[in-house]
Amino acid sequence: MNQDLAPTYQCQFGEFWLLWYSKSNNYSIVEHEFKSLLDHYLNANSIDTFNSLIIEEDIVSDTAEIVKSLELYLENCNATNKAYTTPKLKFDSSKSHIQAYYHFLDKTIEINYDSNLVKKIIHPAIAYLEVSKKTKVQTVFDIYLDEDLLCLFKDKELVTAVPKRDYHLLQGKFVMQLLSIVHGKQESDWLGTFHGSTISDSKNSIVFIGQSGKGKSTLCAILSSHGFELVADDVSPVLSKKGHIYYNPSAISIKEGAFNTLKPIVDHFDTIPTVLFNKTKGQLKYIPRDIPTLYSYPCKAIIKVNYDKDADTTLEDLSVKELLETLIPDSWISSEPHHAKQFLDWLKSIYFYKLTYSDTESVIKKITTVFKSF
Amino acid sequence: MKKDNSTDKLTRKDALKKMGKYAALTAVGTFVILNPLNAQAGSPPDPGGNPLD
Repeated sequence: MNQDLAPTYQCQFGEFWLLWYSKSNNYSIVEHEFKSLLDHYLNANSIDTFNSLIIEEDIVSDTAEIVKSLELYLENCNATNKAYTTPKLKFDSSKSHIQAYYHFLDKTIEINYDSNLVKKIIHPAIAYLEVSKKTKVQTVFDIYLDEDLLCLFKDKELVTAVPKRDYHLLQGKFVMQLLSIVHGKQESDWLGTFHGSTISDSKNSIVFIGQSGKGKSTLCAILSSHGFELVADDVSPVLSKKGHIYYNPSAISIKEGAFNTLKPIVDHFDTIPTVLFNKTKGQLKYIPRDIPTLYSYPCKAIIKVNYDKDADTTLEDLSVKELLETLIPDSWISSEPHHAKQFLDWLKSIYFYKLTYSDTESVIKKITTVFKSF
Repeated sequence: MKKDNSTDKLTRKDALKKMGKYAALTAVGTFVILNPLNAQAGSPPDPGGNPLD
């Protein structure tokens, strides 16, 4: 029944099944018993057949309620979110008030901003790449406000225009453009961009995930000051072809609460400028890091991070459910079926852990041990 | 809500039989649906005020 609503791909992780629905690009995690009921329902020709299958399995219950719940479940799994449509806007050259040039890996880009407020959305994370002298420019970006819309143009072609309250979407699009230029790729080459920070030991990489304020970036600043390489902060891109995490040149964003921890660890910390982003985020510092030895590394583990000053540093296994509940809602994963399939296969090859950390020394030891275990 | 039946040594199937309709609904209810973002994004905005205002 309702075979057209069935998951397109499915993959077992221990006691859980991870299902992917192509109509909606939704992922669902279910337990084994649920999966059995769902399979019976989808494979049955009629409600009567389904009822008889359930009775055979000796489940004493109201089958009508089960059918109703499964139908509602499938409906929700296949429900599509209304996609945001970028309005059609023509390029306005009169808004190019502030010019800046940025140079990285033999490439120079120019960004024109209409105001210092708009510049603050993009510039601080790449400020360390700014160059004063104009060399051959590969790409010109224009970023400006058109009434309440924040617009991004690439070589005078509109990339996106978002309501200004959704400035983080413009940041994401810009980073995608930057990554594609840095690595010579198209947007369609990427499997996804994870909301997380990535560290490497020059052979493999680990992605650190967690809600804002849980200590991902601070941890990456600590680790990258102790022999590890920063691959990406905040946005970790995965390339479809290799499944590797690629270098993101954005600097590490550090909140004021971590300044005291990092001051004795990061060289010349006091000379790094502070930026006031908004009242809640407070003062931020963007810590630049050296370019890693390689531009991409295979990912061996995803670690959910939680800084707790009163706790011992511990590393525990994490279920796929807890991992994906944190990873998926804040990440972009391509809705192309072959990318979804790759994502499921990719997850199969990765370890999942939960890290609680309190002090620098013990967390460095712990992460060193994890890298050595690969 | 997920029930832990480990203390009374019941199997999942036994638990379903014992608890009847409620358990069946529980069995159907133990799932999560997760939506990835439709587009690339930076860290989500927090309620501290829009830097563009």
